[in-house]
Amino acid sequence: MDNLQELLHGFTVAVTMPHLLLMVIGVLLGILVGVLPGLGAPNGVSLLLPLTFGMQPVSAIILLSSMYWGALFGGSVTSILFNIPGEPSSVATTFDGYPMARDGRPTTALATAFGSAAFGALVGVILITFLASWVAQVALAFGPPEYFAVYFLAFASFVGMGGAAPIKTVVALAIGFAIAAIGIDTVSGSVRLTMGIDELVKGVSFVVAVMGLFGIGELLVAVEEEFHARAVSSTIDWREVFRAVARLPRHGVALLRSAAIGCWMGITPGGPTAASFMSYGIARRFSRRGRHFGTGEIEGIISPETADHAAGTSALLPMLSLGIPGSATAAVMMGGLMIWGLNPGPMLFVDQKDFVWGLIASMYVGNIVAVALVLLTVPVFAALMRIPFVVIAPLIVIICVVGAYSVSNSYLDVVLMLGFGIVGYLFKKLFYPLAPLVLAIVIGDKAEDAFRQSMLMSKGSLEIFFANRLVTSLVLAGIALLLLPLALQLVHLLRKPASTAAEANKEKAII
Amino acid sequence: MISRRALELLTAILTGSFGVAVVVSSLDNGIGWSSEGVDPGTFPFLTGVIIVLGSLYNLVRGVLPAVRLASVPIAITPMELRRLAGLFVPAAIFVAAIPLAGMYLAAAGYVFAVLAVPRHQSLPRALAVAATTSLALYVVFERMFQVTLPHGALAAVLGF
Repeated sequence: MDNLQELLHGFTVAVTMPHLLLMVIGVLLGILVGVLPGLGAPNGVSLLLPLTFGMQPVSAIILLSSMYWGALFGGSVTSILFNIPGEPSSVATTFDGYPMARDGRPTTALATAFGSAAFGALVGVILITFLASWVAQVALAFGPPEYFAVYFLAFASFVGMGGAAPIKTVVALAIGFAIAAIGIDTVSGSVRLTMGIDELVKGVSFVVAVMGLFGIGELLVAVEEEFHARAVSSTIDWREVFRAVARLPRHGVALLRSAAIGCWMGITPGGPTAASFMSYGIARRFSRRGRHFGTGEIEGIISPETADHAAGTSALLPMLSLGIPGSATAAVMMGGLMIWGLNPGPMLFVDQKDFVWGLIASMYVGNIVAVALVLLTVPVFAALMRIPFVVIAPLIVIICVVGAYSVSNSYLDVVLMLGFGIVGYLFKKLFYPLAPLVLAIVIGDKAEDAFRQSMLMSKGSLEIFFANRLVTSLVLAGIALLLLPLALQLVHLLRKPASTAAEANKEKAII
Repeated sequence: MISRRALELLTAILTGSFGVAVVVSSLDNGIGWSSEGVDPGTFPFLTGVIIVLGSLYNLVRGVLPAVRLASVPIAITPMELRRLAGLFVPAAIFVAAIPLAGMYLAAAGYVFAVLAVPRHQSLPRALAVAATTSLALYVVFERMFQVTLPHGALAAVLGF
């Protein structure tokens, strides 16, 4: 029951006027970046990051996490009303959300989406409340080898369960590690990988990479296909909102199953996008009305939305208790934590109780604020979508340029950001995953330090990774995940070759 | 028209050459084991090797006519290429202009050019959007958050 007491204390930190105001601002900005194609939660959060340096860490994380909730909700608005996913994680919502809205039931679709999203988020937060401090407690006993094993497990699960081509994931991860190594080496102090450019001594900030990869890259993907923002009516019928939410418990099985999938995918770094697709796929297979999916089925909205938000929320659990972010946005937030001078990981639960429990409490409140605000502002943001894309695109470019520059007032960063934009476009186009790349940039140094410290402890022998039961099982689990795609391929070869259509669908699901 | 195969090839070569650069550059820091523990170049060296090997694999996968690639042979059509260039080229010119013209002038010019030249918007409207953009940047960054954006060489000459 200690957790509940801490949580109550957290509420006294989170529920103050300034923090509620920050939540409202964060959620509104979040909905904005969620609605605009080309800007997403990772960008939005990294754009706000330089502006939080002067704040208290608790206030800063409340602002950033609220923005995350807002972006998750905002992405669904455009998916349902315009058939344009504002976020990659809400692509699956378009399958049934848009048909339902087109049939003249936009309020039902939106209310169902928000209701199930809120449920998913709630399950995620409850999980964090009860599990995070316990995980942190276990992790307090970790030494460098255990840490490296956990990092290894995280990276391996991207390869094994991320859904993208495994070797492409490996390349993306390794590039992230190499980028993280640029600049001054934290252990020896020597300068690495600057390739003759002196300014690179300061390293490459993950913010610059995120701006380019997710901002410019996504914009380039978006501009390829012309947008036809043919909106269905966006007026909200309030009575229908309550009716739709009241109908949700009838789909309890779908809700619980999707929340479980979401939590699992959020804690293991599968991320919200993979979670929503997986949940939609499973719902279609197991639902009695599976044949009707794609024509505006209620469960076709509930499943991806619940899983999306459950994953988005629970992605903060490993970030807080282990220092390993479960999604690209969580990786950016963790970068923020390190900039504010906090050390993400189990020590947070000992040294920074106010911060941790303030954040957890704010997740309960922030999601309620987000549901209310997103319902109230649907017409406003729907009107925003009628601004032609040619006007919005240059503004997003400027935002990314300014964002990259303001990290460390460096023009080189702006040029690098454009370069990352091209890489982001190519990677998206060819189904290289971007989240592992960002993750590796953020925690690459920590993983390397853990490895080198372990090596120092063992005088260069790899046996230290098999020294006790805990570290051995972590490493073995990681190796198993790495080999999983290979094993699946072998099974695949032994059986009859599957149809190419299924493969193409799988590729679509990754973006 | 750019085929999926060409794009796969280009990307694999791009990642591969980055890997080679990482490998070569990390050799300067020393790899292996010394009295101070693992040498600083070791970790980057290993990641570089992984990048190179992975890129080679992707290169081969991309070139070999796999069944999967055949289902989507064209990656970028000429029309799409034109749209891509329409977004990226002005953006690159904007970034190139920043050291000379400064953020505010370059941003305003960029917005104006993108809106007015292809006649998407009327001249006065394009001007208004451009001016508002720069003003908003100034108010938010220079005033509210005290972040100085580059003013440019031109402004320095004029004494700002």
